[in-house]
Amino acid sequence: MEPLKPDVKKSVLENSPQAGAADLEEYERLLSLRFTVNPEAQGAPEARERRASIEKRIRELHQKLFPKSSRPPTQSG
Amino acid sequence: MAASDSVIRAIREGDVSKEESKRFTICIIANPSLEAPWNSGAFVIDPIMGDQAAFDASVRYIDTSLFGGLPNEGEQVFADPSISQKVRVLSLFVPGLAAQDSNCLVGEDGVSDLLIARRDVFSAFLAQFGLVADVGYAVTKSAAHTRASAWFTSDDTSQPGVSFTLDGVSRVHCYYNLTPGTVALHCTAYSLTALHEFGHALSSYENGMVVDLYVDSNPGLNCKRGRPIPRTFSTYNGTVFLSDMTRDRLGYPPGWQSYHCELIAPDFPAIMDNYWLSPDGVPEHCEHDAITRRFLLDRILAKLAR
Repeated sequence: MEPLKPDVKKSVLENSPQAGAADLEEYERLLSLRFTVNPEAQGAPEARERRASIEKRIRELHQKLFPKSSRPPTQSG
Repeated sequence: MAASDSVIRAIREGDVSKEESKRFTICIIANPSLEAPWNSGAFVIDPIMGDQAAFDASVRYIDTSLFGGLPNEGEQVFADPSISQKVRVLSLFVPGLAAQDSNCLVGEDGVSDLLIARRDVFSAFLAQFGLVADVGYAVTKSAAHTRASAWFTSDDTSQPGVSFTLDGVSRVHCYYNLTPGTVALHCTAYSLTALHEFGHALSSYENGMVVDLYVDSNPGLNCKRGRPIPRTFSTYNGTVFLSDMTRDRLGYPPGWQSYHCELIAPDFPAIMDNYWLSPDGVPEHCEHDAITRRFLLDRILAKLAR
């Protein structure tokens, strides 16, 4: 997963007073973690539960970091 | 659909002494259809299909970055002719395909600006053209999402490979895959992004994951967890690799449990770390850490020898 550019990180935090750096760090960590859960093992109940748990927390953090009134960050290429 | 010279281009022929099916192959594909959002089942035509010039430029960028040809690029791991002249790189631009599941290689994440490779679609899509990939890049011109991501390779462990040991455990650089390593990349990507994602995609769920180092990651080939940080990071194939005690100039944030392998370019972040934070503002000066470089090199050499 492409790392966050420093200006994007700064912009996200400035535009999300309700969220802190720790929220963004957890959000980034979970987005990255998503790719380490072997999709070939998705059928296994344990992997399914783990994936669901990661996605639930990512959604919660996304709502906190990017409330609907603000635009999601775009990392121009 | 039959293969056509008009849509498939050989950027590198690879090792022509081998039949095509045995050559290590990287396929760079103009993504025909986007799933927006990812996992929604809603498909639209990817704007890249209306901009072949942007796709061609992206193909040149990917090829250049992989083989060490960017201006100031320090990482030359695949630049040696014994590798760069044996790797086959193909580009595919297939116009006129419908916006549907079987033609959709990229999804737009609904909870971030990540582009997500739809890894299960790649092999069947390429099979229409008689192609099998070791690593696939899908290039998109999504209007809303620009951030690249990758899935590791799923190895075919039923077939042979080259054995190695990692911290006393036997593993294999498998010759073939069940699912190739897959990357979703925006056509405007630049600098080390294509090479960073290749590091993920070439690595393996079964035999060593090369993970991101800019978050407090779970263990992988290039990342371990625990404090205090031990002097020795890993023993790979009998070679001892040391730990990076300081994470170059970035430092490990308080509270992190992860730590990394010694760096080859100790003043710069590792390529799998946040290369945008290169202290001189030139990300291309970053290089892989020692074990990641050795592992990726051995893995590609194994596949080239099949």
